[in-house]
Amino acid sequence: MIRLLGSRFYENLMMALDTLRGNKLRSFLTIFGVVVGVITVMLISSIISGINVAVEKQVESFGTRSIFLYKFNIGFSTGRRSREERMRKPLTVEDSDAIKNLPSIETSVPFLDVSNNFWGSKILVTGRNGKSSSAVQLQGTLPEIEKTTTEVLMAGRWFSQSESDEKANVCLIGSSVVDTYFPYTDPVGEELDIGGTPFRVIGVLEKKEQLFGGGGGNNDQSNVIYMPLGAALKLKPNEDDLFILAVAREGMLDQAKDDVEDLLRVRRRVPYGQPNNFSMETAASIIEQFKSITAGVAAAMIVISSIGLMIGGIGVMNIMLVSVTERTREIGIRKAIGARQGDILLQFLIEAATLTGFGGLVGLLIGWLLTLLVKLVLPSYVPLWAPIAGFFASVGIGLVFGLWPAWKAARLDPIESLRYE
Amino acid sequence: MYKFMDDENGERQPAATDTAQTGEGLILMKNIWKTYQMGVEELHALRDVSFSVNKGEYLAIIGPSGSGKSTLMNLIGCLDSPTKGDYWINGNLVSTMTDDELARIRNKEIGFVFQTFNLLARATALHNVELPLIYAGMGSGERYEKAQAALASVELGDRVGHKPNELSGGQRQRVAIARALVNHPSILLADEPTGALDSKTSVEIMALFEKLHAEGNTIIIVTHEHEVAERAHRVITIRDGRIENDEKIK
Ligand SMILES: Nc1ncnc2c1ncn2[C@@H]1O[C@H](COP(=O)(O)OP(=O)(O)OP(=O)(O)O)[C@@H](O)[C@H]1O
Ligand SMILES: [Mg+2]
Repeated sequence: MIRLLGSRFYENLMMALDTLRGNKLRSFLTIFGVVVGVITVMLISSIISGINVAVEKQVESFGTRSIFLYKFNIGFSTGRRSREERMRKPLTVEDSDAIKNLPSIETSVPFLDVSNNFWGSKILVTGRNGKSSSAVQLQGTLPEIEKTTTEVLMAGRWFSQSESDEKANVCLIGSSVVDTYFPYTDPVGEELDIGGTPFRVIGVLEKKEQLFGGGGGNNDQSNVIYMPLGAALKLKPNEDDLFILAVAREGMLDQAKDDVEDLLRVRRRVPYGQPNNFSMETAASIIEQFKSITAGVAAAMIVISSIGLMIGGIGVMNIMLVSVTERTREIGIRKAIGARQGDILLQFLIEAATLTGFGGLVGLLIGWLLTLLVKLVLPSYVPLWAPIAGFFASVGIGLVFGLWPAWKAARLDPIESLRYE
Repeated sequence: MYKFMDDENGERQPAATDTAQTGEGLILMKNIWKTYQMGVEELHALRDVSFSVNKGEYLAIIGPSGSGKSTLMNLIGCLDSPTKGDYWINGNLVSTMTDDELARIRNKEIGFVFQTFNLLARATALHNVELPLIYAGMGSGERYEKAQAALASVELGDRVGHKPNELSGGQRQRVAIARALVNHPSILLADEPTGALDSKTSVEIMALFEKLHAEGNTIIIVTHEHEVAERAHRVITIRDGRIENDEKIK
């Protein structure tokens, strides 16, 4: 019985392929919608996977044991901050010191962003080569930064405890800063003018892994200058918007998160049962946040591409109806020599599914070539489900939209179809 | 699934009771009417037709154009169903059959040859002949052999790969006859099989029918031509939807 069905299926498949070969142009036009739909699925899944991988890499470059602390919520939330959030007091250097002393914590460093001056305008960085830019991120920090993996030193050294205590005007610069101000010279030992004060460059940092291949803009993670916290406060005396990076001891991330949370709740006097008045994230939690956003985008795009597939399906239904009418006589002949309703139904269903399945394969091929292009820009890959879902969706479209035409064909009266001109 | 159930002609219900009425008859028609409703008017293509055909007979149906010959043939071939009356084939009452049972009868019991051949244009001669075997659920190896043999028996063994438009009219009709015979039906029906052929080719085709009859096949043939009818062993004349005459001539 199975063998029988199998052979009948094979016969029908061969006949269907024959028909498609006989109607090349029409077949191609019909499957166009399906092809586009499948290409979309392939592209979207590869782009989203690429963005996810890029974000993952970037966030993990801050260290998988890192805990990020800030008074406001960190992450990809949109919209205005709530009143409660806007009223929160900043984290302090003392908070960071207290965290550093927790047994589950290896080290803790505060960061103070002084890119904007007191009046909100950007602080200008000027080099000896005459270049000037306000797009550089200026971060004040403490010598403990050396023990984190946030930045990797490429040349020179980090500043010492005594330089930190003396609020010395020394700085370390990111690779984009090197590109701007010292394209041909070794920057170590040279000077940069930051907001009117000369700073001596003592170290150069490695280029950071960058989303979308990097390059300029405000988002460039390598366009950064680190200086002692005291020196930063001289540039912008009343800045207190502190960000803390704590690093958990090996294998103690969960413990460390609990400890830090408890400590900060006590220090910031959060009443029992109330939510935190600060935010705490890890690389994993930020990646997760981000993935939930891309998953939403993916869902939206899948809805869009399935609309494409639906339109393709209506095209298929249309062409199958035409085909049934055109082939009324053939159907009559088949019935006259013993085809059952089920045989005719199967024949037309297989034909529709072959048509759209073929469209799906073409879409997969073109989509796959396009994802190779995406790979040039993003560390993308095509998740296995995408081609599988794409192919089965195309075949499914053929089956669903072919059902009615096939049913019509199966129900034709033998003698009337034989008389059909 | 259904294939399973009605595979061997065993368990068809009406068979037992009806055999008594049909005797040895392969075909039995009783008071058959076929009426077309043309607006308010009724057009009786067949009026109260009754007759039977035994195994091994060679029967010709003649009559003027529009007398109801094709209508009768389509009923015998289970392509159409009567408005009134009963029809048994091989002891099975056709009027109570489901669509799938009718398909099985058309596939296994009846070989139909049409005036206009009715071959699948895009398929080769071989594939056209294989088609009834496909619908009978036969495996490809056996099918190929049977189709080859059927084509050889109509002397087309060297044309199996040709499509209908690569064959002459007579050759096409022989492909159609091979297709009708390939499943070893109980009865071969031919509605003006030579109507679209020149006289020389017609003679060839008629010789083929005679050969098939000599081999034991039961044949019913509809024709306009008296030369064709004279070759049969029995002639039924139809006029205005009624059987006017039914005579053995050999
Ligand atoms: N589908 C139909 N609808 C209405 N009337 C029909 C239909 N089919 C046949 N008829 C009528 O039934 C009558 C018998 O037709 P039939 O085709 O059986 O004639 P025939 O004897 O085969 O004629 P011919 O020798 O010309 O082929 C004719 O009057 C025809 O007009
Ligand atoms: Mg006729």
